[in-house]
Amino acid sequence: MRALDGLTVRIPRGVTYCLLGPNGSGKTTFIRAIVGLIRLDGGDLHVLGKHVSSVRSLYPRIGYMTQHRALYPDLTVQENMEFFAGLYGIDGQRRKRRIAELLEMVELSDHRDRLAGALSGGMYQRLSLACTLIHEPELLLLDEPTVGVDPALRQSFWMYFDQLASEGKTVIITTHLMDEAERCRIVGYMRAGRMAAEGSPEDILRLAGLKPHLELRLEDPEGEASRLRSEGYDVEMSGELVRIRIDGHAQIKEILEIVAPLDMRLREPSLEDAFLTLSGAT
Amino acid sequence: MIDIRRVCVVALRVVRQLKRDRRTIGLITFAPIVLMMLFGYALSGEMSGIQLGMVDLGGHPAFISHFEGMKEFTILHLGSEADAERLVSDGRLNGAVVISPSEIHLLLDATSPQIANAIRNAALSGARNDVPGSGAQIVEKYIYGYDMDMTDTIGPAILGLVVFFFTFINAAVAFVRERSQGTLEKFMVSPLSSTEIVSGYILGFSLFTLLQSTTTLLVVIIVFGVPLKGSPLLLLSIVILLGAGALALGTFFSNFARSEFQVVQFIPMVVIPQIILSGVWWPIQSIPDFVRPISYILPLTYATDALRAVMLKGSNLRDVLYPDITALVVFFTISFAAAILVLHREVA
Repeated sequence: MRALDGLTVRIPRGVTYCLLGPNGSGKTTFIRAIVGLIRLDGGDLHVLGKHVSSVRSLYPRIGYMTQHRALYPDLTVQENMEFFAGLYGIDGQRRKRRIAELLEMVELSDHRDRLAGALSGGMYQRLSLACTLIHEPELLLLDEPTVGVDPALRQSFWMYFDQLASEGKTVIITTHLMDEAERCRIVGYMRAGRMAAEGSPEDILRLAGLKPHLELRLEDPEGEASRLRSEGYDVEMSGELVRIRIDGHAQIKEILEIVAPLDMRLREPSLEDAFLTLSGAT
Repeated sequence: MIDIRRVCVVALRVVRQLKRDRRTIGLITFAPIVLMMLFGYALSGEMSGIQLGMVDLGGHPAFISHFEGMKEFTILHLGSEADAERLVSDGRLNGAVVISPSEIHLLLDATSPQIANAIRNAALSGARNDVPGSGAQIVEKYIYGYDMDMTDTIGPAILGLVVFFFTFINAAVAFVRERSQGTLEKFMVSPLSSTEIVSGYILGFSLFTLLQSTTTLLVVIIVFGVPLKGSPLLLLSIVILLGAGALALGTFFSNFARSEFQVVQFIPMVVIPQIILSGVWWPIQSIPDFVRPISYILPLTYATDALRAVMLKGSNLRDVLYPDITALVVFFTISFAAAILVLHREVA
């Protein structure tokens, strides 16, 4: 079976890059190819300026968080961190400082003597992230890093990712959540091993050419919909709702002069809609 | 290049994990004692291929032909009792019979009680077949120490058996876990090499092997009264070498198991044959000819032999270097290479 056939991507340094796509679209495969865990049958891949065949020498500069989380449940939080620090030759004061810093960041400072196996799912996740960051990698590959993390902490994760990117580090993140993708500088939307669309969230919305629409709840949906149509509006029925495509917010006022809705809502196009349009799926 | 600090980091982690696993620690301490009690007194089968020296100084032809008619013995005729004694103490012969008109001497190797028994029983029944009236007195001479019982010979062998079993299973389970919890994949994207991983494991487990063997040894000596004639240092070194090989073998086999449950299924395949065929409970000589070649490719056969020699006969390093230590080094080298190879293959 072919995977990642015809995939061309260029990820600049110092950005947050999101690999978005449904399960099985090749996100993890792509990440594993970047770190050299999958040998390429063809094509070309360069990592941090070097060909992927010599990626081994770059491992001290790469942080890789797998979906499996890669921790030892029978070691404490502190011991897990010490172990991964040791692998990268971090010891003494630097190790102490680094561990304290990261535990603070993932809010696990009070749990350092607990066994990792006794942590909740979200905590386990956070510890895994902290272990991945221990050696201050330049290139971070995070496979679904925020699954199971509560919204407030997710927020602080993202602020941290942005901060890393502003320090010149490259953060590549996979997710299947749109709202997370919107936080990245560049989003690559993968489908079936191909890059269906790529760009900043704003570019993608513009490229898809999607317009906002107004959703109205009306007393007589059928009658009023046809009245709006006769005025030249693009109207469609969605159950009891009447949906009108608009070009700009100025039109809202004009529409309200024609009908008096019981309730109304303005819907901006989502990144999801844009990707579905761009990838030709419905 | 191996970075010794990284090896130590892995070793420290392994020790921390094992230290927390109280059940395993209890098991490895008490298992040897229970095994000795269970099997300490038992088991003797049909034997064959016992290398027996025969010195005929005249007087008892019927006694000699009785021995020659028994399929258990391969008989080598010798000129003097001194020659026979030398060959038995070198380990070239399992025992000897010296026949003179007035006395029959049995030169027995007390470190193999079952073989000594077989020779003794053959002599007693041979004496009954002898020409009436010409009866000679049978005198038993032990080349090594005294009349030992089963616990004496099983003690040193248990040492090797338990270390092999424990280390093999634990290493296989540990590496299955490294795979399933994703840490192995993480190692593959870190400066840690396969050689360093396996070396770290060997270092960490060796500390436990040392602890376990020392406890077992003390119990064997104090509770069961088995003598320790050779160097305890040599004894423990042999155990560590065997443990390192078993660890590497377990690592290699973990590649063929997807779960801890599947590791358990290796027991009948890898562990049981060693328990049965490596001379721990009964001498190799009592194992049927057609399976005996298997005994000679099992590492535990050589470990058992070396441990017995050091403990009961007081053999030194030179005595056990060939074939025992050599075989264990070969076993370790092959297993280590195989373990590294399968870990490597996972990368690409």
